[in-house]
Amino acid sequence: MTFSGTIARVRAGQLPQGLVLKLVVLALLGVLVAAPLMRIVLETLAPDAIGAWTDVIASRLSRNLLWVPLSNTLILGFGTAVICVAAGGFLAWLVVMTDVPFRRTIAVMATLPFMIPGFATALAWTTLFRNNRLGGQSGFLESLGLTIPDWLSWGIVPSLVVLSAHYYSLAFAIIAAALASINSDLVEAAQMAGARRARILSGIVLPVALPALLSAGALSFAEAVSNFAIPAILGLPVRMQTMATRLYGLIEIGQSGRGFVIAILLIAVSAFFLWLGMRVINGRRTFATITGKGGRAKRMPLGAARWPLFAFAAAICSTTTIIPVLVLIISSLSTSSSQLFSSWTLHYWLGASNPDFAQGQAGIVHNPFILDAIGTTVTLGLVVAVTGTIVGLLVAYTLARYRTGLASGAIEQLSFVPLLLPGIGFAAAYIALFGTPIGPFPALYGTLTLLVIAATASLIPFAVQSGRAVIQQVSGDLEESARLTGAGFLRRLAAITVPLAARGIVAGALLIFVKIMRELALVVVLFTPATPVLAVLAYRYASEGFAQFANAIAVVILAISALATILANILQNRSQPWLKS
Amino acid sequence: MIGIDALTKDFGEGPVVDAVSLSVPQGAFLVLVGPSGCGKSTMLRMLAGLEKPTSGTITFGDVKVSDGESGWTIAPSRRDTGLVFQSYALWPHMTVAGNVDWPLKVAGLDKAERSTRVAEVLGLLGIEQLARRYPNEISGGQQQRVAIARMIAPKPKIMLFDEPLSNLDAKLRVEMRSELMRVHRATGATSVYVTHDQVEAMTMASHVAVLNRGRIQQFGTPRDLVADPATAFVATFVGTPPANLIEVEPAQDGIAFAGEILPASFPLDGPAQAMFLPETLRVSREAGPRTIALEFAEASPVAGRVMVTGARAGLRLTAVVDDVPGFMPGDTLYFAIPEVPAALFSVDGERLA
Ligand SMILES: Nc1ncnc2c1ncn2[C@@H]1O[C@H](COP(=O)(O)OP(=O)(O)OP(=O)(O)O)[C@@H](O)[C@H]1O
Ligand SMILES: [Mg+2]
Repeated sequence: MTFSGTIARVRAGQLPQGLVLKLVVLALLGVLVAAPLMRIVLETLAPDAIGAWTDVIASRLSRNLLWVPLSNTLILGFGTAVICVAAGGFLAWLVVMTDVPFRRTIAVMATLPFMIPGFATALAWTTLFRNNRLGGQSGFLESLGLTIPDWLSWGIVPSLVVLSAHYYSLAFAIIAAALASINSDLVEAAQMAGARRARILSGIVLPVALPALLSAGALSFAEAVSNFAIPAILGLPVRMQTMATRLYGLIEIGQSGRGFVIAILLIAVSAFFLWLGMRVINGRRTFATITGKGGRAKRMPLGAARWPLFAFAAAICSTTTIIPVLVLIISSLSTSSSQLFSSWTLHYWLGASNPDFAQGQAGIVHNPFILDAIGTTVTLGLVVAVTGTIVGLLVAYTLARYRTGLASGAIEQLSFVPLLLPGIGFAAAYIALFGTPIGPFPALYGTLTLLVIAATASLIPFAVQSGRAVIQQVSGDLEESARLTGAGFLRRLAAITVPLAARGIVAGALLIFVKIMRELALVVVLFTPATPVLAVLAYRYASEGFAQFANAIAVVILAISALATILANILQNRSQPWLKS
Repeated sequence: MIGIDALTKDFGEGPVVDAVSLSVPQGAFLVLVGPSGCGKSTMLRMLAGLEKPTSGTITFGDVKVSDGESGWTIAPSRRDTGLVFQSYALWPHMTVAGNVDWPLKVAGLDKAERSTRVAEVLGLLGIEQLARRYPNEISGGQQQRVAIARMIAPKPKIMLFDEPLSNLDAKLRVEMRSELMRVHRATGATSVYVTHDQVEAMTMASHVAVLNRGRIQQFGTPRDLVADPATAFVATFVGTPPANLIEVEPAQDGIAFAGEILPASFPLDGPAQAMFLPETLRVSREAGPRTIALEFAEASPVAGRVMVTGARAGLRLTAVVDDVPGFMPGDTLYFAIPEVPAALFSVDGERLA
């Protein structure tokens, strides 16, 4: 038994501090996570609201309310899962197991699409593929004289393509990590057994990679069914509804009872698949690779297929990263989508209000709505970065300090729940809880406070994860060894804790900030004109036909989040140079 | 049976296996020993056909299976060899029984035959009760035995082992050693076996090849190697405990043994290294005519005798003696040196006499 261990135990025995802390954290998580969820369920079960269930599930309306949106949602979910696993798996195989040229570049490129907000990619799609079915500006391709059929402009197909383009990087990251842990000895052992290539693939490689493929598929599925922005931009104009857009519509027109029912069902669908995916990776046959020493990675030579495969991979990566961003930038600099390369203007950025242009809307730097929204969004981002970091550190610290016990178990579970919840469903739960006054507290609906609380709650899992990384760096041996040298508390704080923790904390906070900047699903439901947020504004502009403004705002969001991400990465790497080898 | 001629492998940064030539007859048990990174696994992998030689040839019987010059190799599956990988390479998605069964299935055996054979080898290695577990549910030593079972199940003509017992405890290791020898004799297969363990090498081998930096230092029977090492490296690498090497130098009135002048008892022209086997040294508390004083370092019993080590800066000697009075760390011991060394090596390790 170590000396410091004894001290810790004695101290814990003397003060019931641990329990107080645990209860405080538990209460906090209860209010932030459990209460809204319970509230939304109870709300729909109230005697005057229970009818909403029958309306949604079994009535003349249910076809439009539930079944059609549900089947669209499932089509998008399964379709996206399949495409993501295929594309992500292909790229992961190429990068991890073969000698394809520029492996590192492909690996980096394949993780970028997830950094671009989904609505930005969707806006880029409409800029290129929009046809004249709905009137208004036509897209670039149509202006070149091509006929763009409706199915390529609107609805399921473009939603599917854009969702996949956005989420395949998740699948890539999961599958690449799994493949990297497969030892090439496994394949060689099968060769020794005399198996042919096809038999090795079907008997060894695929089964070993299967859990990763399934969990990548489940994650892509859950993300796709929860996504609001993409089907809203590409599907709503032609009345294609998903659960998420239906939920938004119902809340928007004040039928919140039905909206809540849809939200509960959406949460159930998405959480079920995520849970399934996690079960698969945590099951009995998880293939954390078995190895003694001497395992080696041998890359498969691609021979003549090397460059063609590279070209294919490069095409996938650039059409999902560089091209959408370029389209958005160029489009925000052109008078209309049909004249991307012929008629350029800085009006959407710098222009003053001019009745000939965009119905008198001024360019970004003069536009009071947009400036206002930038201010609100950045404020929201900063505030949530602070609140989220505090909650994250608090939970992570509690869990690190008190690993066992009922309360700790509950804290651990609760802090993980928001990961299973689609943002838009979570937002609905928040309306259910805070939409009406609770006791002495006023109704929070429409206030920035509600946005802050909801956003903080939805980011708890992420914040706890960053918090854990920080706590791990700081606590334990390092601090104890400093204590053994006899340094006082303040001295330890200044010499050990702060330098170790500061960069990690700032990096984590920046990443929270980035997530808030791009968040649409959560805020679109909680949005009111009093709390204009950039992403929502972009969405509004897009649906009202001001494509250039929408695109310009998307570029602003991209720029802000890119800067913050880069800064966070630099801080994180700098903060742990000893982790690099 | 296995003929290796001028075998070389270069991954692009200089040879890793360098012009190795040797041959062993059918039924031989060839042990490859050498320090970490000397190219043992690479040799095995070339024998298995997983790696193409840069130059040189390998023949099994009358068949040339690899030819570096022409780039010709027979596929691993058609060499009738089995390999126990250093990493075990167990397929994580199959149970223990499934792992052993799969190669038999690929070979096209019918179901009844397969299940008897699987039960047989699992029994042979004492892991039948693990048959339904997955590889991540058993210990490292058990995984190692599964890897061996999987390799021997299809009865290959040539068995290749890459440190197959390294994860077992001492007792199990001794048992498995005899078990493997029994399998080897019963099948009449030719085995190539990589190990770091001197005892394993000396007890199992019919032939030993000592490798260092990809080159063969010496190839022969275990007895040859201990009694008559070709280089200083071999001398310090084989035998338990390994032989003592003392730096010697002609001095005015005798020979300097690591600085200590003793009467000249053998001819010496210049600086060299003299080898003395541990069992030829004597230890006592009193100085004698041919003794070197060292500080007592450690003692441990081996096979009814005692292994004593004494050390001082720049010299460390080990003797195996019948009995030692209880020494304490810090005591001074006198090691009596025989008149004639068992072998003499040049300063850079070449055998002189
Ligand atoms: N695929 C490869 N590419 C480049 N170098 C390699 C490759 N495989 C092995 N080497 C190098 O060849 C040398 C010999 O490796 P090998 O695995 O044969 O050593 P070993 O004798 O088996 O060592 P150990 O006892 O540690 O297993 C090492 O220096 C290693 O780094
Ligand atoms: Mg090796």
